[in-house]
Amino acid sequence: MKSFKKVLVLLLSLLMVVSMFGCSKEGGESGQKTDGIDDSKNVKIGVLVADATGAEALAFRSYYENYIQKQYNVTFMYSDELSDAAAEASAIDNFIANNCKAIISFASADRPAQIRKCAENKVYYAVATGTLSDDEYKEFKDNEYYVGAIGPDLYTEFMAGYNMAKHYLDQGFTKFAVFGGATPYYVDMHIYRTAGILVAMCEAGGGDYNGAKDMGQMIGAIYGMNCQLAPAKIGNVELVSYIGGYDFDDAWFGKLAEAANNPETEVLLAVGSGLDTFAAFKRPEQKLGTVDSYTADAVKAMEAGTLDYLAGKFSASIGPIFMATLSAVQGKPIRTANGEALALSQGYWVATSADQAKEFYSVDSSTTDPAYTRPMLDKYFGAAYDDFAAFVGAYSYEEIQNLKK
Amino acid sequence: MRTIVEIKNMSKRFGSTIALSNVSIEAYEGEILGLIGENGSGKSTVTSIYAGMQKCDKGEMLFEGKPWSPTSMNDALKHGVGMIVQENGTVPGISVAENIYLGEISEYKKGLFIDRKSLMADSQKALDDIGAEHIKAEMVTGALDFQDRKLVEIAKVMVNDPKVLVVDETTTALSQKGRDIIYSIMNKMKNEGKTVIFISHDLDEIMNVCDRLTVLRDGNIIRTFLKVEFEENAIKTSMIGRELQGNYYRDDYGDEVKGKAVLKADNLNKGNQLVNFSFELHEGEILGVGGLSHCGMHTLGKVLFGAEGVESGEFTIRGEHVKSIADAMKKQVGYVAKDRDTESLNLDASIKDNIAIAGLDKFAVNNMLILPSRENKYVNAQIEQLSIKCSGANQYVSALSGGNKQKVAFGKWLGRDSEILILDCPTRGVDIGVKQAMYQLMYKMRQEGKSILLISEEMAELIGMSDRILVMKDGELKKELYRSKELSEADVIQYMI
Amino acid sequence: MDNEKIVRKEHVKNLIFQIAPIVGLLLLFGLFMAFAVIKDINIPYSMKNIINQSVIVVVVATGAIFIYTLGSFDISLGANMCVSALIGAMAYNRTGSLAVMIGTCILTAVLIALVCSVLASVFNLPVFVTTIAMLSLLNAAVLMLIGANGTGDIIQVPAEAVSAINTVWFKLIIMLVYLGICIFVFNFLKLGRQEKFAGGNPECARLTGLNNSKLAIIAFIMAGIGVGLGAFLTITYAPTLSRNTASSVGMDVIISIVFGGMPVSGGARSKIYSAVVGALSMTLLSQIMLMLNLNSGISQMVKAIIFILVVFISMSDGRKSILPR
Repeated sequence: MKSFKKVLVLLLSLLMVVSMFGCSKEGGESGQKTDGIDDSKNVKIGVLVADATGAEALAFRSYYENYIQKQYNVTFMYSDELSDAAAEASAIDNFIANNCKAIISFASADRPAQIRKCAENKVYYAVATGTLSDDEYKEFKDNEYYVGAIGPDLYTEFMAGYNMAKHYLDQGFTKFAVFGGATPYYVDMHIYRTAGILVAMCEAGGGDYNGAKDMGQMIGAIYGMNCQLAPAKIGNVELVSYIGGYDFDDAWFGKLAEAANNPETEVLLAVGSGLDTFAAFKRPEQKLGTVDSYTADAVKAMEAGTLDYLAGKFSASIGPIFMATLSAVQGKPIRTANGEALALSQGYWVATSADQAKEFYSVDSSTTDPAYTRPMLDKYFGAAYDDFAAFVGAYSYEEIQNLKK
Repeated sequence: MRTIVEIKNMSKRFGSTIALSNVSIEAYEGEILGLIGENGSGKSTVTSIYAGMQKCDKGEMLFEGKPWSPTSMNDALKHGVGMIVQENGTVPGISVAENIYLGEISEYKKGLFIDRKSLMADSQKALDDIGAEHIKAEMVTGALDFQDRKLVEIAKVMVNDPKVLVVDETTTALSQKGRDIIYSIMNKMKNEGKTVIFISHDLDEIMNVCDRLTVLRDGNIIRTFLKVEFEENAIKTSMIGRELQGNYYRDDYGDEVKGKAVLKADNLNKGNQLVNFSFELHEGEILGVGGLSHCGMHTLGKVLFGAEGVESGEFTIRGEHVKSIADAMKKQVGYVAKDRDTESLNLDASIKDNIAIAGLDKFAVNNMLILPSRENKYVNAQIEQLSIKCSGANQYVSALSGGNKQKVAFGKWLGRDSEILILDCPTRGVDIGVKQAMYQLMYKMRQEGKSILLISEEMAELIGMSDRILVMKDGELKKELYRSKELSEADVIQYMI
Repeated sequence: MDNEKIVRKEHVKNLIFQIAPIVGLLLLFGLFMAFAVIKDINIPYSMKNIINQSVIVVVVATGAIFIYTLGSFDISLGANMCVSALIGAMAYNRTGSLAVMIGTCILTAVLIALVCSVLASVFNLPVFVTTIAMLSLLNAAVLMLIGANGTGDIIQVPAEAVSAINTVWFKLIIMLVYLGICIFVFNFLKLGRQEKFAGGNPECARLTGLNNSKLAIIAFIMAGIGVGLGAFLTITYAPTLSRNTASSVGMDVIISIVFGGMPVSGGARSKIYSAVVGALSMTLLSQIMLMLNLNSGISQMVKAIIFILVVFISMSDGRKSILPR
């Protein structure tokens, strides 16, 4: 009897999973044709993800699956969470075997290997939220299967950090604690944001940081100090504490708490994940700014006063790269005048009040009327490079609202 | 007399084996009912079903006239039927007291904590009541030897004051003291009008103790003997279904051992297990070693096989020292351990695996490469020589009866032509048919000039088979006795205790 | 029912347990082909892909069978592979020789395995205990190696260096040769017999003259060779190594071995082919899920349920129940 029960439980669980098969949907079959987009044939696009569960990653995925996939005759196949180059390679192999026509990548363990493999197999490849290094771009820009990259370039990342720090420096704050995210793992995007913060401090404080004052010098200084950046006095501004890495152990949490509890510290800045790090330890009189994404939690934190500066990628920011990819798949690639692949930068939406954050979030999380809607994107199917670049460049909330009108 | 236990038309199968077919048994108040039969006859199966250890496929059970279907051994014990099992029934990692009150420990809860003081006191009383005062309730069970663990189990059953007690083969592994404790409990229960079902291989013992005796064979009831009908040959014949041919033990006397000494031990010392122990084993000799269970004789066997070291003293085989078990094997020494299922055999492997493993160097090409044809030949020769009852060499050992398992353990060492065999309780838990075959085999080996060290807790076996008997007590050699028709169990026992 | 019939039934039952994993593999293959046709899949590429994805797990699991046979367990396989691959890649970058790279990979992996098993033997600990300690050590070693020798957070071998050998045939040959050696050692050498026997009952093995420590050390060496080959194949497939390299291999190996019908407790019923059958089954299963475009959460749930089902069925095997005396 007991073993019968066990079998029953297992069978029921299997049944549950099988019934979930049934719920998963196989792409929209709208069959319409607009502006030259061929909606008659389903296009399979593979998506490589290095993070499958983070708030930002989920928001991106929701935009593709709950909006784009319903609007266009495309099917997105998502990879598992990819942790290394080998996992990326096998995910690409899987997509190729499943006849995906293009791959949009959020994973960066080995971008050149990804592009080479796609090109060898005549599959289009696009970078969703990042950029290639200059060398990499040089190698692949002429490859017809490399669609390009749209995302914050490193200068944009630098400016994100710079603007966030400046926001507080302008208000007269002088004592800062910084969470450097993945800086110790040499993740460029976080290093540049950190550099931006330090350069802003140099300008406001009227000093230098270990001899560095501008972006280039500052990157060198950060590498040179092996990411052990605090404490430091920069003119009359002070970097009281600095914590990096994502150890999630007691010692790491201890350091975060210590930084926040330091009575001197006025402002907590996070180059990423501010809500998961400093927010828990912040004292009411302190300020907290972070680069993160627009989520319900972030809005709540803004309303509660836990957070007062948020620079976030909006989930629909991956709309243009989808359009560029679809254009390439359907034979109307968007390239520069020299036939080179896209390398366009796109920055963040910055909210400094709860109302603003709420407004951004409601647009950002909408699956019926997101920031970039189909009518907006359709205009740029196979567009000329300059038009497309202008479209991507007008990324601020206000600009996008204007485009919608 | 009132019927307490009633089992009607019980049947049970284990895979391909029929364990019981239409077995009906009754036991009355104030009696000791014996169950006897060869290995695999079903005697343990029927009682373990009654005591809640397993379920039957078919049949009806009554206890004091009411339908009886215990859900577990604990359930059976709570309602009046206790069983002391053949295998180990205690949990090694916890205290004796916790074992005795296992399952009822919640009754000692005081808030969040256990009232250890009264748990210990009650447990000690339970041990004292059965005459096992030397065991302390707070001891860790795993530290006790086999016999004391059995006594703990008995105490565990007796604190529940059962109306029916099943004693399954418990005595074969116990020393005289342990046996006496069990006999006195059984007799006390009988005198109080309770019921005892006693299972044993030992015909003498069972004839002494029981009021009636039921014989099982191949899952069937063969016959029930009343006390007045007890007669050794009749019982044996009904057990094995034929008359025993030839002698049970060897029947030669005065056949002197003339071979030279092959094994010499000189002043061996190891704790209280071996104290200044010296002896010689000769070619063509069966040398018995007897004593109480922890007199050190089992340690002696392991030491001589290189499995355990000594603190001082030395021993040689044909003049050479033994460095390891592998070295002993090279010197043609074989060892059949007392604990067959854990030390002699790999139960979850085939007969072939078990026999071949000891003889790899004998049939592997260049002592490396195994050719199936040579391996099969090697193994099949042992299966034939020992008449192991099996469906083939690939049958798993776990599916064999106790006697056939022991034959496989023998086969490991016979195959590699061991010249010196150390046999530790080789006939423990083996039915008489197989026992007799083993005695004949031992005698045959002796006649071939091989040497056998027979360590045994069965007096009759030592007396019946040995050329000499070394009697041990507390690690010391107390007495050396020579083969003689006049030698009695009492002669041996007086030096053991 | 007469006895002969029952015996025959029992034989059939045993046979079913023996071939169930293979039947499972064939079923999965059938299912895969059916879906492949329905879903218009690139079948030749898929086949190549399945081999590519299975081959590393097959090689590592095949070696690991030796450890599992002893009823033991190595939790540090993935970390060992990562360190071996990193050192192998560094060796290549110094010398530019593929032979040096493969040699270094194998040597490193074997050395690590050796340290694990020898430590266990010296301190008389169960081997899996030292593998737990080794896991932490190796993870630290990975960070140190990358910090000291890498650029940023990776160590890279030039892609063109390995592209010539990144072919299915090359990998198949490596796999088949290693598999052949392992099958031979396992089934036709004294050593293999001893490993199986010691796994079933170490005390009985000891009392039959076998040296359990020595057997554990040899088992770890055999597994080490597999790990080293796996490290080499990993570099071949994806020449950019990070601290996450091979992070899923340990778990994949365990699941494959169990999928392939290997008893968790080791012993005489251990089979080398479990690794192959298990790894292929697992890859096929993943591919089927992918074709159905299930998100990874659901496909992992399905795998978990099948895993439990396999263990449950193999445990409910009648042979494990109480036997008559």
